[in-house]
Amino acid sequence: MIRVAFSISLVVLLLTSSCSTRIISNKYYQEQRGSMDSIESRYEKLNALKPFAVAFTDKEFNILSLEMISDTLTRIYEFNLNEQRLADTLLKYNYDTAGINYLVSKMQQTKVTWINSVDYYVNDLPQQLIYLSIKPVTIRYIFSPPKYIALGYFRTAQSFDEKGRLLDNRRTKKIRKIKGQVFYRITDRICYTITDKYR
Amino acid sequence: MIFCVEKTLFEGKSSTKKEALEFLDKTDQTKKRTYWPNIKPKLFYDNLKLNLDNPKSFYPGRSTNFCAYGALSYFVMEKDPLGYVKFMNDLYDKGEAIFNNNTFRPSKAVMQAAGTLKFKGVLDIRHAEQMWFLVLADKFKGYLNFFDKRYHEGDENTFWAATNLAKFDRMVNRMCGVHVKAVGSDLIKPWVKDVYSYLQKRIDSNTISLYINNRIIHKKNHDKIKFSIPTHFVILRQISKEGNMITLRYWDYGGETELQISNRTLKKIIFGIITIDK
Repeated sequence: MIRVAFSISLVVLLLTSSCSTRIISNKYYQEQRGSMDSIESRYEKLNALKPFAVAFTDKEFNILSLEMISDTLTRIYEFNLNEQRLADTLLKYNYDTAGINYLVSKMQQTKVTWINSVDYYVNDLPQQLIYLSIKPVTIRYIFSPPKYIALGYFRTAQSFDEKGRLLDNRRTKKIRKIKGQVFYRITDRICYTITDKYR
Repeated sequence: MIFCVEKTLFEGKSSTKKEALEFLDKTDQTKKRTYWPNIKPKLFYDNLKLNLDNPKSFYPGRSTNFCAYGALSYFVMEKDPLGYVKFMNDLYDKGEAIFNNNTFRPSKAVMQAAGTLKFKGVLDIRHAEQMWFLVLADKFKGYLNFFDKRYHEGDENTFWAATNLAKFDRMVNRMCGVHVKAVGSDLIKPWVKDVYSYLQKRIDSNTISLYINNRIIHKKNHDKIKFSIPTHFVILRQISKEGNMITLRYWDYGGETELQISNRTLKKIIFGIITIDK
């Protein structure tokens, strides 16, 4: 009887509590630094040749959504990783098939769920940052949203306030939000945030 | 609940790109106007020229709720490019303007914000488009805007800028003065037996806008249970079928997107089909 009462109260507690999802390790970047930086630099090189973005749309990291981007047309195709169609499509649209396959396998190993290039402007001149999301191991309560670690790789050093928040530029104290999120300093070029959307 | 709106005003093109470019050539493009303190004249007029040269270049910005105004721009540029540049020029000069009998007197907050939107992709340097999207969102209101009617900084990403299906139909009808037909609603999908055939039958003779649940196409998290609601307006450009796969090509955000989906997914994503005669 006591056991049943305990189980019921535990379920009620889980259902009613407003606990948010907890990420097991807050040092994900520090622990995986080498892999993350290598994925970013590999993507940067491949994307410069022919722009694209990659997402893993399932929790098991088997289904890939590939966005092949040109000036006028973006093709969005979904593949199962072991489908031959993926290589055929990359070949058809003149992508570096081996390079992208290697990148995708690295992303799968390190739980990088999304990578793309984001353009923005400083003094009316185009700049670029690479946006990368990781699906960390979490403790998740019922009704609480999922959590992802998003990393932003800028090409140049950025400004941060005393709390480590990313600023618009050196002269203002205005916080720069990327996709509605405040980002925090890791290095002067790399910042992170915790978000409930991977893209 | 199925909405079906049919209104006839006038059809066909009201002006041409050539007329619009000639008008722009005669305009003083260097003078800075006081009503819009953050609009840079060069970026403003370069943007208008780009809109005329390539009407598909309209870019509603990353993470904003301007997609409906982007789709509306497509209709406007098809029907009346001269009307668009005259309106924008008047608005820039006088702080108010009339488009197809709709008077626009934007709020001070909107005038202040135009030219300052940042981190929205190429919209950052498209000052005419910033002005256009902001004044449209300021002017047209629907029930989604009920609790947030006045612009505050950052509201381009909030319900202030959101658009429901009825508001979109109204905007197209009032801004373009065209025959608008819409099926579907904000919560329930259109009562159309075969969506593919419905679209295929109309695509050649009509310009079609779709009100879709974009979260199925652009998944943002790994949750399997998702609210099924429409989030995005696009312009349908092509649709074809091969076996069970449908290839859909639509315009949004300054370019076209092509995707391959099943008939079931097509039915799942579409909440509204808006057609106007070409």
